[in-house]
Amino acid sequence: MIADGMAPSFDWSFNENDQEFSLTGSLRPQRADELSGCLSELERSVSGVSGKFYVNVRRLVRMNNVAFHTFACKILDLVRGRSDLNVHVTTSSVVGWATRKFAVLETMSDQITVSEYDSEFYPGQTFLEEGGFIPILRTQTKLTWHHERTMLARHGLEPEMQVADICCGIGDFAVLLQKEYQPSRLVALDHSRSSLDYARKVAHDFGVRGIDYVFGDASDMLLESDQFDFVTCRHSLQVFDRPELILKELFRICKPGGRVYITNEKNSHCLGEPRSETIQRTYTEVARLWSHFNMDIELGPKSRRYLIEGGFEDIKMESFMVTNLDGNPQDFADIIQSWEDVYAGQMAVERGDSAEEIKAFRQGFQDHIFAALHPKGYAGWPIWVASGRKPQ
Amino acid sequence: MTSLSEGASPNSDALPMLQMDLDIQDFCSDWSHCDLMSGYLARMVSHNRLDSLLFSNLYSSALNELLETVFRTHGVNGTLHCAVQRIDNRDRIELVFPVDDATYSIYHEAIETLGREDAETQYLEALFADREPDPNLGLLELGVDYGAKLAIERRENGTMRLVADLRLEDKTE
Repeated sequence: MIADGMAPSFDWSFNENDQEFSLTGSLRPQRADELSGCLSELERSVSGVSGKFYVNVRRLVRMNNVAFHTFACKILDLVRGRSDLNVHVTTSSVVGWATRKFAVLETMSDQITVSEYDSEFYPGQTFLEEGGFIPILRTQTKLTWHHERTMLARHGLEPEMQVADICCGIGDFAVLLQKEYQPSRLVALDHSRSSLDYARKVAHDFGVRGIDYVFGDASDMLLESDQFDFVTCRHSLQVFDRPELILKELFRICKPGGRVYITNEKNSHCLGEPRSETIQRTYTEVARLWSHFNMDIELGPKSRRYLIEGGFEDIKMESFMVTNLDGNPQDFADIIQSWEDVYAGQMAVERGDSAEEIKAFRQGFQDHIFAALHPKGYAGWPIWVASGRKPQ
Repeated sequence: MTSLSEGASPNSDALPMLQMDLDIQDFCSDWSHCDLMSGYLARMVSHNRLDSLLFSNLYSSALNELLETVFRTHGVNGTLHCAVQRIDNRDRIELVFPVDDATYSIYHEAIETLGREDAETQYLEALFADREPDPNLGLLELGVDYGAKLAIERRENGTMRLVADLRLEDKTE
């Protein structure tokens, strides 16, 4: 599963601006002298640096002991000869062996530190993981599936396809997709271990088999290139500060001729009657709030541009509105309440909003709930769906 | 047939999931065979694991170290037999290959080191040694870093059996 086709050998680069030396690919040499070119470049890079020097091995998928011994000894030599130098090694937990292996370097010199690139993966992850969001995510999927169930076919999903659901979250969409479309293979990837644990438990409890839940970084996946007929990525480009990186990876793993399917929101277009004005004011503020945390909850209508710029063709785009009439209005109200809890209760507080501002912010959510539960009311949450074909 | 067995018990009734046999000289004709075999086998045995990508990468790393050790340290003629098994949540890799006294002693020394209280210290010393890495460094890594249970068994037909039991996942589906 590791990308043989993607990383047949290894490569290195030095970013002078960030004082970062990156190693990528698969490093399993027979002899140390096979690494001489890379080591020379490492030495040359370090010679022009003072202070902190970063060694990035996040994309180093494989490394044997010959390579580790060679690099580890070189790094130790470098810091021992330079008291002004501190080396920081960045690993990725996605690779599995790397953090444990490189961590021993810390025991050899106090000028070397090692850390895993994980916690700051995307800005909203902490809010979502710690916000008690799981029950509400299930409700959200239930309401959006009501629309997407048939929409997916219009965007090219057929039974027996090889499918990947990237940023699968708690995996409930993957379960629904598995039941409805019976793909020949379904890989569901996410960067939250707690969400994946939940996803596996639900799949197990519901007797759903055949979904391969994997831990991974959507912007830097270890999945091979050109292997999926249909790649979904829902409500995720909007929570990532550099959505084009994820899109590039979705493009890469999609087969030529296959399609990538994305959904995103434009929260300022959430609506409700009665009390439309306060509702609109609050959701306009939601957009500003997300922007403060480098996320774009307004991304939905921009999907077409992203797909075009990402190299896709035959782009299809449509939108749908999840409303209080899609089922039990209380489900809709529960979603809005959870938004209020996270957006007003956590994010606005962290932004430093005053109590008065937060009170006004909360009011729009409460009015949205009022509209949803009102016997004559109407409340909506718009979502944009877009898909593009990877050229043959 | 067995004349000597060291380390954890190498005996098992479990059937192999996959088995590859190849001439030791063919195997040692190209270093990339270690990488190719470990990558292929890892991929084959990882599909039903909790996290197939993570498992595959760890499995490939462990198996590659074993194969690289055999590549460097083996007898002259014979067959390399590589079989993999799974018993509950334990993955077993079994390698049988030709040895002579000198090559067997390298494996013997590694097993002995791993049985000592200062195994981790020994491993770190070998890892950061100024000289070329010892040929048994990969075995020490598996024993210390991967927590593998290693066992060796010398046979009368001029071969030895190296068994590594690994637990790469805490849970299964």
